[in-house]
Amino acid sequence: MTESAVPDSLAVRSRGAGLKLGRFRDLTLVPVIVLLLIVGAFADPVFMTTGNLMNVLQQQSALALVVLAEALILIAGKFDLSLESTVGLAPALAVMLVIPTSAGGFGLDLPVALAIPLCLLIGAAVGAFNGFLILRFQLSAFIVTLAMLIVVRGLQTGITGGKSLFALPPSFLYLGSATWLGIPAAIWITGVLFAAGIVVLRFFRVGRALYAIGGNTDAARAAGIRVERVLWVVFIIAGALGAVAGMLETGRLGGISANQGDGWIFMVFAAAVIGGVSMDGGKGTILGALTGVLVIGLVENILTLKGVPGEWKNLVYGAIILVALMISRLAGGKAQD
Amino acid sequence: MRHFVTAVGAAALALALAACGSTSETPASGGGSTAAAGGKVGIDFPRADSDFWNSYNKYVPEMGKELGVDLMPPTNSQNDIAKLVANTQALVSQGAKAIVMAPQDTGAIASTLQSLDQKKIPVVSVDTRPDTGKVYMVVRADNRAYGQKACEFLGEKLGGKGKVVELMGALSSVNGRDRAEAFRECMKTKFPGITVFEEPTEWDGTKAASMLQTRLEQNPDIKGIYMHAGGVHLAPTLQVLKAKNLLVPPTDPKHIFVVSNDGIPQEFAAIRDGQIDATVSQPADLYAKYALFYAKAAVEGKTFQPGPTDHDSNIIQLPNGLEDQLPAPLVTKDNVDDPSLWGNQVK
Repeated sequence: MTESAVPDSLAVRSRGAGLKLGRFRDLTLVPVIVLLLIVGAFADPVFMTTGNLMNVLQQQSALALVVLAEALILIAGKFDLSLESTVGLAPALAVMLVIPTSAGGFGLDLPVALAIPLCLLIGAAVGAFNGFLILRFQLSAFIVTLAMLIVVRGLQTGITGGKSLFALPPSFLYLGSATWLGIPAAIWITGVLFAAGIVVLRFFRVGRALYAIGGNTDAARAAGIRVERVLWVVFIIAGALGAVAGMLETGRLGGISANQGDGWIFMVFAAAVIGGVSMDGGKGTILGALTGVLVIGLVENILTLKGVPGEWKNLVYGAIILVALMISRLAGGKAQD
Repeated sequence: MRHFVTAVGAAALALALAACGSTSETPASGGGSTAAAGGKVGIDFPRADSDFWNSYNKYVPEMGKELGVDLMPPTNSQNDIAKLVANTQALVSQGAKAIVMAPQDTGAIASTLQSLDQKKIPVVSVDTRPDTGKVYMVVRADNRAYGQKACEFLGEKLGGKGKVVELMGALSSVNGRDRAEAFRECMKTKFPGITVFEEPTEWDGTKAASMLQTRLEQNPDIKGIYMHAGGVHLAPTLQVLKAKNLLVPPTDPKHIFVVSNDGIPQEFAAIRDGQIDATVSQPADLYAKYALFYAKAAVEGKTFQPGPTDHDSNIIQLPNGLEDQLPAPLVTKDNVDDPSLWGNQVK
């Protein structure tokens, strides 16, 4: 800890902003969130109730984990579009290995207790394969993961035959639907993982290494960081986080449809970028990404409560994200990148 | 990009036209009623990622055998109009004498229909009604009737008052629109005392779950739910209700009445368990059967007139062809075990 304190402040200063502004950057969305809370409270009396706000957090928990995964990769200067497909494939494949043929499984009938570890393993495997292609094969991360987005989704449609999986083991649904101490388990899990992400990226050497790699790969390598190994681990962790997101979503919905996670990646990027994570790598924080998720969740919730007609909803939604971007730009005072 | 696609499409079309220009006369002149065995039928499936369409895709070869249709290997356009156009051209160049398709974009298919018409290749459109362009027959359940039936069922159960959530499909699809409009109209005229919350879920389970959860938080006194598609809305709805301890039998005053559309086996199971109350069975088997029936008839050169048919349906006249409106029965606890429902025949 004491060791890493020095490179910590150095890294922030080398971003050219100084420590204070660097911290402030995390919180540029706070005024937007406050504004949304005020608007929401006026829009509907139910909005400010604990029940409703808890629902918002629960509804966003799976998306938030994908944002966490994407933020890690973006900060390290890479890209992963395939995460949204992992959200569907990991739980679907894991469940199909344990459920009987009559329920749509492969008929392998592996022990049900293996479903969750398998799910994580499949997500990690997808991440590892991405890492292999990008780091060992030296392909562009954008194109590789774009192709993997299609491949992974295609694999899911192929093995399930496009059908939804309904008959799932209750233990697999548990984490996504249970409540611990009055708060949905999904919120606990997401909260803990985010806290871990914030702490590691802020105070640990390996976390700081992500910023170094994303900021300047050659310099990071010269400084003795094992760039390939760190990046590979990041891809694997991101894949596993995508799998956890898929599992929570499955528990919330009670089934796995062939298009689970489809189209999420746009929201994921929107949340990460309005939360201050740079698409060019090396900048942004996990806390910032979290505020981005909250903004998206609150907007969604207010639009639903107000009953905005379906034909107009996407327009209003997109416009609000643009406004959030502008406010965070003004509050942050720095050019967006 | 768009221009590029259009240009490629146009070029491919021109090629296909040129290639088939000489052969297109043969079926028209020689296509008497004796040509039954000679006419190959090409079929394109619209997608492979929804429960309803998977059932349809499975029924097609079975029904083809039953009706003695010379079916070509099916193509799949994955819900993409550009792929559908390309597949149609491939089928034609492989010698299809009639085409069965289910264009999910009812506007953009027009020029393809036109060029098929010029080649005298009849088209049967399943599930959707193309806006323009000639079709031999549209085979489709009356989607307005779905909305109507759901409205009447809910209205009656709720005694004409209370609050209802409608989980809508995508408004860009004619079927989603038809269901929504009919439901809205019927509620307004027959049950003005019922408040309807329309939720634009775009056939997406994730959105449906969030919207329903939020709406129930806002209005705990909601008494009815209308789901446009059981395939996507059923599992999320049941999960949300379960989390709120609202999954109780119809005899309990806390029970929320749920009506669905589709008629997949999981909905029937939920009806038997008393978790939901009714569904409108969209006839996947009849879609497959009559699509091929009319395709075969078209190859044989038969024609049809508007009016009632021998299979409980009605043929109506469209500006660009005919439409056979197949019956879609309302399934409740009373008739859920009827073996003739397609949802009871799968597996």
